Amino acid sequence: MASYFRSRGLPVPRELSRNPLTDWQRWGTLAVTIAVLYVGVKVLDIDVSRANPQYAWGVVRKLLEWDFDIMTPQNEYETFWDTSPGLMLTTILLGVVATALSLLLALPLAFLGARNIMTGHPVTAVIYTFVRILFTIVRSIDVLIVVIVFAIIFGLGSAAGVFGLAFHNIGVLGKLYSEAIEGIDPGPGEAITATGANRVQVIWTAVLPQIFNPFVSFTIYRLDANVRLAPVLGFVGGGGIGQQLFQTIQLFQYQKAGLIIFMIVLVVATMDFASAQVRKKLS
Amino acid sequence: MSAQLRITDLIKVYRGGTRALDGISLEITRGEFVVLIGLSGSGKSTLLRCINRLVEPTSGRVELDDIDVTAAGGGELRRIRRRIGMIFQQFNLVRRSTVFANVLAGRLGYRSVWRTLVFQPTHHDIDLAFENLQRVGILDKAYSRADALSGGQQQRVGIARALMQRPDVMLADEPVASLDPATSHSVMKYLEEINKKDGITVICSLHFLSLARRYGTRVIALKDGRVAFDGLPAEIDEARFKEIYGLDAVEVEIGVAKVRGEA
Ligand SMILES: Nc1ncnc2c1ncn2[C@@H]1O[C@H](COP(=O)(O)OP(=O)(O)O)[C@@H](O)[C@H]1O
Ligand SMILES: [Mg+2]
Repeated sequence: MASYFRSRGLPVPRELSRNPLTDWQRWGTLAVTIAVLYVGVKVLDIDVSRANPQYAWGVVRKLLEWDFDIMTPQNEYETFWDTSPGLMLTTILLGVVATALSLLLALPLAFLGARNIMTGHPVTAVIYTFVRILFTIVRSIDVLIVVIVFAIIFGLGSAAGVFGLAFHNIGVLGKLYSEAIEGIDPGPGEAITATGANRVQVIWTAVLPQIFNPFVSFTIYRLDANVRLAPVLGFVGGGGIGQQLFQTIQLFQYQKAGLIIFMIVLVVATMDFASAQVRKKLS
Repeated sequence: MSAQLRITDLIKVYRGGTRALDGISLEITRGEFVVLIGLSGSGKSTLLRCINRLVEPTSGRVELDDIDVTAAGGGELRRIRRRIGMIFQQFNLVRRSTVFANVLAGRLGYRSVWRTLVFQPTHHDIDLAFENLQRVGILDKAYSRADALSGGQQQRVGIARALMQRPDVMLADEPVASLDPATSHSVMKYLEEINKKDGITVICSLHFLSLARRYGTRVIALKDGRVAFDGLPAEIDEARFKEIYGLDAVEVEIGVAKVRGEA
């Protein structure tokens, strides 16, 4: 193939210049991958000899023998908010409030982190770089770690969950929003600037209509993700139904745990479906 | 009569070093229909955008009725821009917004930020929007989304938006380059009408010499950021044509005969 070009003194097109059979880069990549996997399996020392299928089967059966005590208050001190439905609702609301909180902060920051809005002045260019680095750092810290740290600050409970989740989300939503702003068509803004409108009017009239739908779509996507994450946060001190699930497992109350897991699956699946429907409408 | 628009020694060097305008001096009189021609990259868009300072000139001067546009800043620049309408090859409408909102946006330069933020146009502006929509023949599309319209209709929305400014000068950057020949003429006719009826000076860059001959009262040709020809459309003969477009160029005609029907 390549010889066709060489014999005629032509440069070889990039796509034809490689031979998959003799290309040492490909073989090298494959060899390294195999080596890494081999070392990984050795180091991890994956041991299945201690597995106890009979015991596990017993647990699974208990998980399916739901104990409905957790659905209603069990004594005079308990209210609806101590029951599983109450804690489930608390957890959903935790995801919603955390999303709203992060939206409130990410929204203005996103404009400061959009290149097409901020380039021009050296000062705004510096702000842009700073905001984008901030988003990256905030985003790169896993939610669970943030909630653990916040649980140390605020104590165990919803505060750690809400603020931890919101913190992480500022980074995620901020980046998504910024990229949506960067992706707009500059033409309408140019045209409206030409009419004599000022910057605020241009953003309001030409930028907002272009970013509104993507913003709503990203927000719903994050709401979905946050409601999904919220139950897990209870395991590390974030409050809500996750905390109850954690406790029941610790106490070997698998009949209760099973019902809680089912409720979580139900909520997550509903959210997933609803969010997909709404976002399909928006695109 | 003194010049309405005076351009003196205009130079634009883009970051990266491209010398897009290399010393342009022009005087344009009120009521002219100036057609800008020249090869792609000759500086037509840059010149038009330097007039309303969408592009910042590197040096030189632009004066509109003896007001120095190049020295104006902030509010004064926006008041000058109000008097200069502009339409674009890609129409530059807010595609998701209604035709009506797009046209109304042409009035922003006259209105406070507050009114914009709360979506409260004045009754006068609403009247004016309907009037201008009627004028360009798309009143029935007022409530459609802009991107639901055909190219020719979108460009007419662009014209209506610019007319909202009650401009003295209309800049048009290849307004028909994305349109088919018949539609091109229907759009050019509106530019001709606002030029003749309203006395608005038009400066319009075009790709086709036949359109330039048909609509222009004056043709200015740019080549490598300089004025290569400035005169009457009829003066462009074979030799001049080759000078402007290069020796290999062949003139193509764009049909004028069948210009009717929907754009
Ligand atoms: N934003 C820009 N940055 C850098 N160079 C540009 C920019 N816009 C235009 N140019 C360059 O300036 C020259 C003139 O371009 P332009 O004014 O668009 O010409 P025309 O409209 O006649 O095609 C071209 O060489 C083009 O590549
Ligand atoms: Mg151009």
